[in-house]
Formats: sequence, C-alpha cells, structure tokens
Amino acid sequence: MASAAITSWDRQRRRAFFWGLFPALAVLAVITVAPAVYLVVTSLTPLNLTNPVQTGLDFSDPLRNYREAIADYRFRNSVWVQVKLSLATVVAQVLIGLGLALLLNARSKLLEAIRTAFLIPMVLPPIVVALIWKIIYSPDVSPMHRLLEFVGFPVRSLITQADTALWAIAVADTWEWFPFTMLIILASLQMVPDEPLEAAKIDGATSYQSFWYVVLPYIQPAIIVAALFRLIDSVKAFPLIYVLTNGGPGQVTEVTNYFAFVQAFNFSYWGYASAIATMLVAGVFLLSWLLRRLDQAGQRDE
Amino acid sequence: MSSAIERAKSGTGAVPRPLQVSPEARRRRLLNWLAVAILLFVMIPFFWMVQMSFRPNDDIFGYELLFSPTVEHYTALWHGNFPTSFLNSVLSSGISTILALIVGTPAAYSLARWEFRGKEQVGLWILATRMAPPIAFTIPFFLAYRYLGLSDTILGLVLIYLTFNLALVIWMMQTFFATVPKSLEEAAWIDGCSVWGAFLRITLPLTAPGLAATAVLCFIFSWNDFFYALILTRTNAQTAPVAIVNFIQYEGYEWGKIAAGGTLVMMPVVVFTMLVRTYLVRGLTAGGIKD
Repeated sequence: MASAAITSWDRQRRRAFFWGLFPALAVLAVITVAPAVYLVVTSLTPLNLTNPVQTGLDFSDPLRNYREAIADYRFRNSVWVQVKLSLATVVAQVLIGLGLALLLNARSKLLEAIRTAFLIPMVLPPIVVALIWKIIYSPDVSPMHRLLEFVGFPVRSLITQADTALWAIAVADTWEWFPFTMLIILASLQMVPDEPLEAAKIDGATSYQSFWYVVLPYIQPAIIVAALFRLIDSVKAFPLIYVLTNGGPGQVTEVTNYFAFVQAFNFSYWGYASAIATMLVAGVFLLSWLLRRLDQAGQRDE
Repeated sequence: MSSAIERAKSGTGAVPRPLQVSPEARRRRLLNWLAVAILLFVMIPFFWMVQMSFRPNDDIFGYELLFSPTVEHYTALWHGNFPTSFLNSVLSSGISTILALIVGTPAAYSLARWEFRGKEQVGLWILATRMAPPIAFTIPFFLAYRYLGLSDTILGLVLIYLTFNLALVIWMMQTFFATVPKSLEEAAWIDGCSVWGAFLRITLPLTAPGLAATAVLCFIFSWNDFFYALILTRTNAQTAPVAIVNFIQYEGYEWGKIAAGGTLVMMPVVVFTMLVRTYLVRGLTAGGIKD
C-alpha cells in the first residue's frame, strides 16, 4: 500500500517537474538558441545596410564572409592582439592572485577584512573600472603622471602611444580581475590538509620546498580552472578598450570582439560581423569544453 | 611584566600573549603589514576617482589631499538626465532579476530532483550561455529588435539580461535545492501537500538565503552591463553606465561629473557585494565548476 502511494507520488512529481522545467527551457530556447541559429545563418549572407532585405536572403556564396575574414589583415591582426592581451593578463592575474592568496592564507580578522576589500576591483561595474583607469592614464588629472613628473621622469599618456597602449590595457584588466584568481586559489589553499605539510616540516623541508612539492600539486587544478575562466572571459574584454583607446592608436588594441563590434555597429556589415562572432563563439566553446573536461577529471581524482 | 598586566586590563585579548614574541609571530605580523600596504597601493586608483568626485571644479587638477569637499558634481548630475538613466538601470536590472527568479526557480528545483535523460545536455546548454561572448547575442537581438520595436526600451533590456540571469538562477538554485533532503517533501506530500505546495511551503523557505544571494548576483550582473545597453538603447532606456560614458564623448571631459557618476553607479554594487561575498565565486563560475 505504502509503496503504491510512493509510486503515485513519483509519477505526480515527474509531471510537476516537467511543467516546472518547461517554461524556463522554452524561454531559454527563444532567447539563446534562436539568436544563435540566426547568427550562424546571417554569417552565411552578405547582410548589410545597403539593402537589408535582399542581402539578408542571399545564400549564393555562403562561405564568403569566412574567406574574407581569413584574408582580412585587420581580422588577423585582431586575433594576434587578442592572443597577446589574453596571455599577458592571464599570466599576470594567476601570478598576482597566487602571491596574494599565499600571503592572505591565514586565519585572522585582519586578513579576512583585507580579503574582502581586495574583492572591490572585481565587482565594480566594468565601466567604472574603465573610468578609473581613464583618469589614471590622463596626464592632467592622473596621480601617476603627477608622481612621475615629480621624480623627474615625465611620460606621455600611455594609452595614446602605439607601443604602450595594449600593455596599459593589460595592466587595467589585471587590476580588475586578479581578485578572481586570488579567490579561487585561496579557496583551494584552505582545503590543503595539514598532515603532509607537517610531515614535510618534520623531514626538514624548507618552506619553499614544501610549497613546491606539497602545496602546489594540491592547488594546481584550481589554478588551471581559474586561468581557463579568465582566458574565456578575456575574449569578452570591451568596456576598457572602448573607453581607453577605442581600439587605437591605429589598430594596436583592437581585439577580435572589438573588431566584430566595429564591423557590425559602425559599418553595419552584419553578415561579416556575424561570421566573426560565430568564430569567436566556436573558440570560446572549445575552451569551455576543455574546462569541463579538466573539472570532471579533477572530480574523478578526488 | 607590567606591560602584560596593562594589556590584560585594557582587555585586548582573553589569552595573554607570551612576553617574548616568537620569530614566527613576528614574521606573521610583518606579512600582515605587507598585506595592508599592498591593499592600500592597489586601491589608489579607486580612491582617486572617489576624491575627484568631491573636488571643486576650479581645483579639479589639484592634488593636495586637503581640499574643501563639494557636492556640486552630484547636484549637477541630479539636475541633468542622470536620474532618469539611474532609474532605467534600476528598472531593467530589477525586472529582469524578478522574471529570472520566477521562471528559473521551478526549473532549478526540477533539475535538482528529477533524473532524466538529457539532464547533462541541459547543464551544458546553461554553461554555453554563460560562456558565449555578448557580441554573439547582440547582433541577432539588435536586428530583431528593429523589427519588433524593442530597441531603446526597458523591456528589450530585460529580455537580453535574461540570457545570463536565467542561466545563473537555474545553476545557483539547483545547488541550493540539492542540499534540502527529499524526505521533508515526502512527509509534506503524505500530509496532503501537492508537489508545488511542498516546494513553496518547505523547500523554498529552507533555501531563502541562497535565493536572496542569487537575486543579488542577478541584479549586480545586470546593473554592471555596459555592452548590451550601449548597443540596444539610445535615449529613452539609456542606463547609468552608458550615460556616464556620454559625459566623456559628447560633453567634453567633465572630470568632476564623470567621477561623481562613476561613484554613484558603483555604490549599490559595492554594498550588495559585501552582503553576498561568500556566494560570489559560485556565481562567477556558474556552470564551469561543480561544487
């Protein structure tokens, strides 16, 4: 009798769950799958402002946008800029995040307060981060330029010069996101068990040795996950570039995301921009797949 | 000895510290000071913007730390279009958050309790929406909104914010629901509760803190959006982040107003974040890591 009741409960629950899940999946399908399909379809057409109706339905040469992109110097340049920016920021964020996590990994009220304060750059609206650095990089209002002038080493604005603009953006981006790598590494540091560390100490290991041979292997998966997350999100960098350099001077800070934005919303080459966006999505999904594989491998190890 | 007694009297610690500070403790104290110093150095750019927002216009290029603060930039913002943009930000973020919670919470509960084929795929899909670069959504939404008449409307922003908010709610709430034992719902059902009745009366109240944290994260992520609002709004539905950038581009460099606008936009976020900081990582890595 009781088991029959449970079976009917199960059946009722399954029906209820279906209706709980259905609306959300329907909404998600409309706002994510439909646009994705539309994006890919548009990438196969020469859709632009001149004749939106006709060019939007022209599938005579579907791969043209992709061919053009590969031949386009500006596109290839944007990929290279993206690679440079991503590598520089991810490496800097992991190193700074790791260093700070090690420094702050102890139990005390003071350190807890410091940890919380360090979160501020990451949670600020990205546009406010961009404004903060616009101020820092504008010689007439910047404390940095003031100080450099004071010590007799005046420099011109870093964001208006071709050889420093990208690194100026990398510094701002690192400032914004090092708390993220710091948080993830801190969380995994706090899970490192005490026993192997004590054993290493008894065996006479220096603190450098016990970090390298005991702590690092434990936190390595967290470091990789944090780095991959930052790598994926670095592809989306926009407000900093928009406010600080607008992709310039020339195209030295024009990352692929920004290039697609310019093609779509300044020039209205929607077909072309869609092809670039499709390639970006493919790249990001590849990285996400890698992230998930690593995470699952990590879980199996535990 | 006398200093130890004094310390005990002033009540700085229940356990009296040893008279001789061990090298370990001294090192730790040194490292703590180092951490404080790094924090202050890192925060200079942030504080510089805040102080600029209170600096009078004729002294905006000054750098003495002692100056007579003024709120003239804030009153100037108050008399311009800024309050409208601020309200637009509140409305679009708020409505999108509420909608995402209404639609996403039952879905998250179903996913947490229901084993079915394709569950893994649904999870992957939600991860994909988190990872996809915004430009991929923006082009289709921009073109569609021109035909649907949704450009430059709050509703248009609400819909596009759902692309990340809904995924976030489903992912976050699923982990909270998984911690509530199923037996509680079973007991409620035997007492005559329907499935959703048990959900509303038992499960949801038990996950209230998680629900609040999720709501705050949704609100922050929508509030922080710049890219979507830049492209999909013009004047009517312009949000605060876009309005500040216009101070740079169309009105020349009004540093005081820019700094004041930036300070106003970041205030709610900084306050809210301190409330939900323990859930922050989970929200930021939603879909990527199982916790």
